[in-house]
Amino acid sequence: MIELIFFCLAGVASGIVFGLVPGTHINNLLPLILSFSLIFPSAHALATFIVALSIAQTLVSYIPSVFLGAPNEETALSVLPGHRLLLAGRGYEAIKLTVLASLFSILLTLALVAILSNHFVWLYEVSRPYIQYPILAVILFMAISEHKPSKISFALFIILLSGAFGVVVLGSSLVPQKHVLFPVLAGMFGVSTLLISLKEKSRIPEQIADDTLKIHRTVFLKSITLGSVFGILVGFLPAIGVSQAATIAQYLGSMGEARAFLATLASINLANEVFSLNSLYLVGNPRSGASVAIQRILPELNFFDVLLLTGATCFSSGISSLAALWLGKRIPRYLAMVNYTYMNLAIILFITLLVLFLTGIFGILTLFVATSVGLLCIQLGVRRSNCMGTLLIPSLLFFTGLNPTILSFLGI
Amino acid sequence: MQKLTLLCLLSSIIGLLLIYYAALMLKPMRLRLDEIDLELVGRKVATTGYIIYRRNHVAGHVFLIISNRRAKIEVPIFSDLASKLKNVRELKVGRKVFVSGVVDYYKGRLQIIPRKPEDVRLIR
Repeated sequence: MIELIFFCLAGVASGIVFGLVPGTHINNLLPLILSFSLIFPSAHALATFIVALSIAQTLVSYIPSVFLGAPNEETALSVLPGHRLLLAGRGYEAIKLTVLASLFSILLTLALVAILSNHFVWLYEVSRPYIQYPILAVILFMAISEHKPSKISFALFIILLSGAFGVVVLGSSLVPQKHVLFPVLAGMFGVSTLLISLKEKSRIPEQIADDTLKIHRTVFLKSITLGSVFGILVGFLPAIGVSQAATIAQYLGSMGEARAFLATLASINLANEVFSLNSLYLVGNPRSGASVAIQRILPELNFFDVLLLTGATCFSSGISSLAALWLGKRIPRYLAMVNYTYMNLAIILFITLLVLFLTGIFGILTLFVATSVGLLCIQLGVRRSNCMGTLLIPSLLFFTGLNPTILSFLGI
Repeated sequence: MQKLTLLCLLSSIIGLLLIYYAALMLKPMRLRLDEIDLELVGRKVATTGYIIYRRNHVAGHVFLIISNRRAKIEVPIFSDLASKLKNVRELKVGRKVFVSGVVDYYKGRLQIIPRKPEDVRLIR
């Protein structure tokens, strides 16, 4: 018991460190963790460590995504909602909002999973042959939700361009498949943001460190409820990402504000994480990098293992939340002291070196194209989630059965 | 169109074409079946082996296990590909096959997942 608590705490500590490092994701760390599996006394200790790391990293990763790569006021709307609050001096509020939404979402998701647990297998099998339709609906929704005809056409162009990129990168094995998403996502969402921030010579405005949340209670509850339901749906639907689900949830809930978006996004993220861990037991299929690793560690997962992992989820989320709030208050003070331009440059260099180390020269080429697509999206003034065409189009081809024909035609 | 937008557009398209060209030039690693291990997960390999097991799934998938006496590996041929294979009925136990595809690890077992019709061929 004490051993499990120790490894849970070690997972939280590692998750906090990796969560603060921009560009890292649990999927990139798992091969490293699994190669050190012999130092763990039991399979359960290793599984607990991975769960705790995954939860802590998700919760703490909002800190770099809010405080780093800040744009200036002119381009903030085409960048990310967390940055809008940062520019208004409300960076800490953004962190607090994501932490609270995540915590509520864990409880709500666990309740929903417990209530619906007997229906997931049925739902999974029934929905499987028709999965291409929701994927297509999400693609169309993403384009149409840009409203203006010119923006709709730009969004469609970005979806198709990133889709073609996804088909080639995911369809070939130029980059090891276990790391392929790292240069793709780091380029589209990380390096492109940091480059814009560099170009505009941005700096973090003075931050207001009060504890108030300027979101109406009803909007917050609506955000976390929709977020938890959509988080489970994201777990079911391949390729549909957290940001697309958050955009759809916002429209369904008629909430068009950055705070509501952040609360929804954080709820979906954690609900997806919790569902993915439970999916091994519920539908016998892993739905995230962490659950793939747990399947490898505990091939015969039983109900008591699920209870243990659920306990580790709750325990680690509580401690990680406290750490995220503590760091969220202090980090802006340190950031005010360092040169923001140099720091952004250092992060770009770090991501590039990490990509080179994990994926080699083709990974760098992939990072370059992904960054160009991300920058193009910002320049055209359309939502960055359109870049998720990278996953949506290949998945659409896979589920419509067109994949063999397309790969054969392309000769890759 | 702004200069930066044009630059981003050009670098996206040129980069994409470069990646496509590199993917075209990349040949799968030719390996013996017993040389395929966990280190190769996510990599494209090509190998040969004798079919020692075949199962047809109601959804149209065909599951093979191929072996070279020293090792065996699963080859799931999903329905979308199986429907495009001309010789799918001839993939019988005892026949020798060439298989090319991406190595995967599923439910504790290694697999080679072929993705296009040329990836599965009978060797006569």
